[in-house]
Amino acid sequence: MKDIRHLLHVAAAFVVVIIGFLIARHLVVPKSFGRIGHYRADAVDEIKALPLRYAGEQACAPCHRAQAKAKASSRHKGIRCESCHGALQAHAEAPSSLKPAKPKEGEMRAFCARCHEKNLSRPAKFPQVDPREHNPGVACSQCHPPHQPK
Amino acid sequence: MHASYMETLREAMSMVSGYIYPNELELQWSVLIVLYPYITGLVAGAFILASLERVFNVTAVKPTYRLSLLMALAFLLIAPLPLQVHLGQPQRAFEIFMTPNTSSAMAMFGFVYVWYLMAVLLVEIWLDYRREIVAWSKSEPFWPKRLFYKLLTFGVDNVSPRSLAIDDKVGRALTVIGLPSAVLLHGYVGFIFGSIKANPWWSTPLMPVIFLFSAMASGIAGVLLVYMFLCWARDEHIEMPCIDTVAKFFLTALIVAFTLEMLETLQTAYEAEEHFDIISLLVEGKLYFSMIFVQMFMGSLIPMFLLGLCQLFELPEKVRKVFYSASAILSLIGILAMRWNVVVGGQFFSKSLRGFTTYKMELAGREGLVSALVLGFMPLVVLALLLYLLPPWGESAHRRKEPA
Amino acid sequence: MNRRHFLRTAALAVAAFAGRAVAAPLAAAEKFFKEPPWRRKKPYWGYAVDVAKCIGCGRCVDACKTENDVPREPFYFRTWVERYVLRRTGEVSVDSPNGGLDGYPAPREPESIAQSFFVPKLCGHCENSPCEQVCPVGASFKTVDGVVLVDRKYCIGCRYCIQACPYGCRYFHPELQVADKCTLCYHRITKGLQPACVENCPTGARMFGDLSDPESALTKFRETERIQTLKPHMGTEPKLVYKGLHKEVR
Repeated sequence: MKDIRHLLHVAAAFVVVIIGFLIARHLVVPKSFGRIGHYRADAVDEIKALPLRYAGEQACAPCHRAQAKAKASSRHKGIRCESCHGALQAHAEAPSSLKPAKPKEGEMRAFCARCHEKNLSRPAKFPQVDPREHNPGVACSQCHPPHQPK
Repeated sequence: MHASYMETLREAMSMVSGYIYPNELELQWSVLIVLYPYITGLVAGAFILASLERVFNVTAVKPTYRLSLLMALAFLLIAPLPLQVHLGQPQRAFEIFMTPNTSSAMAMFGFVYVWYLMAVLLVEIWLDYRREIVAWSKSEPFWPKRLFYKLLTFGVDNVSPRSLAIDDKVGRALTVIGLPSAVLLHGYVGFIFGSIKANPWWSTPLMPVIFLFSAMASGIAGVLLVYMFLCWARDEHIEMPCIDTVAKFFLTALIVAFTLEMLETLQTAYEAEEHFDIISLLVEGKLYFSMIFVQMFMGSLIPMFLLGLCQLFELPEKVRKVFYSASAILSLIGILAMRWNVVVGGQFFSKSLRGFTTYKMELAGREGLVSALVLGFMPLVVLALLLYLLPPWGESAHRRKEPA
Repeated sequence: MNRRHFLRTAALAVAAFAGRAVAAPLAAAEKFFKEPPWRRKKPYWGYAVDVAKCIGCGRCVDACKTENDVPREPFYFRTWVERYVLRRTGEVSVDSPNGGLDGYPAPREPESIAQSFFVPKLCGHCENSPCEQVCPVGASFKTVDGVVLVDRKYCIGCRYCIQACPYGCRYFHPELQVADKCTLCYHRITKGLQPACVENCPTGARMFGDLSDPESALTKFRETERIQTLKPHMGTEPKLVYKGLHKEVR
């Protein structure tokens, strides 16, 4: 016994360290950790609570009824308002605070070309024109009203 | 810092060849992650050399026994630092110990490291030095040092023959446990890379084994070099039977490591899977110098040739010493290059297998060259400190050179 | 214990082990093949892309960056669009300038092109997600409704997950210094909204829905179309599926 006392002292030191670790672990690990899986359950709620930027289609129709109705029967019916008008959650919450973007006449040809400029990489049956040949200089909306394009 | 880093990335963008996924431009694991497996490899190698004497009774290597242990400890203490410095949130590193994810190879680091450091290496060194520690705790004139020894005695100054005999037995048992632990420590480092199926340059079951044998080679080379250097610095006689034996093990480890690497390469080339084209481009291009020249030719073939000569012919002592130290230096450089080729090389090509990104090492900065050099040399500083606190040259280990 | 008794006990033990060895894998396999996770949990989110509908306008990439405050630099994306150009010579070239955010100019030398198409990419929210597997601390995880997320307050920034993702879907957030990735707009879908990329796709190339609902459009799409995942040999089982994927797409 006398000749292994030094070993017992070291073993005791180990026990102290392990107990200290367990106490530290108890204090440091977030309370919600492991409640659902091996992660911090609160993180899920934090991510759920992140702010919205796009309001979503259903936020627009109640006020902008005419445009919504026109669009609903047009070839653009699948396109959501914010695809062209920008992220508008702020506008949906307080309509006067932020005015929706609308492509200006001068920029319109470039704006529409983003989707409709002739490009071999696009699906062939998607409507495309060469903007250099197709009525150059004329705003697209003169012939193709964006909410009811022909 | 932020703006200049963005500028660096933008510059890197102009050097991309082929197509890479846009998120792949930034190379995530820098030179610091090259250092990490290198340093742990030296730990494992040095420890395995030490256990040769203890477990397998290779008495010729006894003069390097304590030195190997101290080297393993010095490198092990520094090993986690490059990782720590590399983390985006270094203050959260403790989470690895608190909530380790059992499916993560990296989380196992906590267990393997603590087990190896605390349970094996520290206790083993302590047991081996206990008699001296007790003596120094009484005789040391410099009081802070004396206090340090006093604490290390754990309040027991019993050095009766029976207690020392018990220490020896426990120490031997610990080495027997320590050997697989050292293997585990470095095998696990290989596993960190080998288990990433997303990366065909890394994903091979041979990775842990290759890492292990190259680790042994580097650790043995490290001990050999430090031993020879210390003998020279202390003006002591180099025990030739000792370094001849160490060199034999060194050669063996080199041969096995090199053979495994070749087998792996051959297998990849022969199977020629989807990723083969990009990997041959990688080896013939961006890694040609660091892999074919530094790692294989300079770091493996030349040392194997030199060490082989020493085995085949009876060369004079002086020549052997030169050959041994040259081989050790070359293979230490070669194995560092091997870590680079694995870690950085594996991030050069896109997982789309269609292109390459680049890596421009910063000079300053957290993950720059300066920081890597400091971290790389830090184990040697720690080793110097350990040599000062726990001098390994016991009464029987060395003979003083006869005055001429 | 006599010899006969011993032998009988041993034989019984062996039989019991053998029985289990046969029965256990069968039971596991039965569960595996018959019961995908979305049969067990409602809702369970999934995603689909119809490659033939993508026009490469980049609206989705822009919307994602806006909705999720993704850094605007051209090397951080939660979603991006790739363009493939297959030449008659057999040459395949892929590009994704700024992740496709600014759209694509027409490809050069059109007469030599055999075919060209766009492929939107995003996190597959893999059932067996390697990123979640390798995270050392449990900062990457899969929610009960099947979405793979990152806990920004817990991530240590080791970037192992970025290495482990076969699809390049993760990046290291330069300001937050943590790993970041697509959340399927978890803050939107849990409020009944569509992810921003789906909301802003003008052609319906991107589809999002509930896999646990047998009537959902996504379920119908998966039932009726020949769908495929990226790198199926990885065994990651992404819940992002494609219709009309070309073999060159990786």
